[in-house]
Amino acid sequence: MFVNLDKARQLIQEERILHIAADESLLKQLPPGKWIAGTTPYFITEQGGITSKDKLFVNEIDCAVDFKTAVYDRNNIFDITKDAFPNGLTFLVMPFASDVAVYYAKEAPNADDLFLYPIVGWISGFDLATGSQAKVFNGVTGTAYSDKAVALHIGLPEEKTAALGIVNIFSADEKESILEFTEDALSVTKCLVNGKEVILADYLAENNIDTKLPLVADYNSVLVNVSIKSVSADKKTVEFYAPVFAGKEYRFARSVGNYAAKFDEHLQELKNVKPVFSCNCILNYLYGELEGKATPPFAGPVTFGEIAYQLLNQTLVFAEIVNK
Amino acid sequence: MELDAKFEKLIKQQAKYESKNLGLNLLISRLQRRYAANRTPEEMKKCLQEMNAFFSKYFSILGKDIEALKRL
Repeated sequence: MFVNLDKARQLIQEERILHIAADESLLKQLPPGKWIAGTTPYFITEQGGITSKDKLFVNEIDCAVDFKTAVYDRNNIFDITKDAFPNGLTFLVMPFASDVAVYYAKEAPNADDLFLYPIVGWISGFDLATGSQAKVFNGVTGTAYSDKAVALHIGLPEEKTAALGIVNIFSADEKESILEFTEDALSVTKCLVNGKEVILADYLAENNIDTKLPLVADYNSVLVNVSIKSVSADKKTVEFYAPVFAGKEYRFARSVGNYAAKFDEHLQELKNVKPVFSCNCILNYLYGELEGKATPPFAGPVTFGEIAYQLLNQTLVFAEIVNK
Repeated sequence: MELDAKFEKLIKQQAKYESKNLGLNLLISRLQRRYAANRTPEEMKKCLQEMNAFFSKYFSILGKDIEALKRL
């Protein structure tokens, strides 16, 4: 729900368990309670996409039978699976460009037991027009962090379980070349294109590749995007928002004309989902001009990265609670 | 355990199975990549342990997957 500050305070004072997304100026005014939060001024509400520093997006986690919050840095982030309830769901929020977020992005797919504990969440951000620092908040202590991750672990009733899902409007363009990387990396100079080594920055320029389109890899039928953050023609480096991995084949995505229509197409079969949480990517919001456009049944923060077990890019992520 | 032979085929990429469960698909992909980097019996044993732990935990919601995997 998209609420004003008074309503958010009321929910906290009623001791509800909450996940909150809002501008930092609002989060700083919230009383301590059973909540965690991350910063963003961008949202996709039931009424459509909006940039707002006056309202907060609140998910009430009323399915929880127990809860705890935890704060992590890069040294202990993978304790997250040890801290999770045996039958539960973990909400994880990490500040954009923080050490812990970068480390998690690269190492999560290799972490033991990761898929035994549903972890959903996002990378917090800031207003791109004014610039500032992404933060996360542990509402139990009222502490804000720009260099740590915060998690809300919830326990679920015995007869329920959490299920995560994603909506990726992109697909690999089969006409595009196959790109492979020799190591797991967030920044690369060289890669293999159809088996031949090239300097990726040069390859992108020479082939007029639209860098708004992500690279797409197939994870056993799940298409996972890697978005390009920047290309340096001088340094010959290409930086990504999520890592590329050795041993995976990537192709550039097909161009998407109308993002809202494409989401609508993908969401048809998910109309009956009742998400407890969802979020969508800032790149979809910006490139797809989603301001004023809704993506029912999903509403939530617009984020600088999405988490469904591992870090994802240019993807809508959701969690629902289902019967066992 | 009952499905170990099927899991092994999946991990070795000798068979393909697509689930509707996001976690299972990501796990299969992860184990395929892990085994491809170290094709040893020890690694396969670890991969099978991880698959069995996943199916043991989510047994109640993986009924369709289990039936389909038996036919793989």
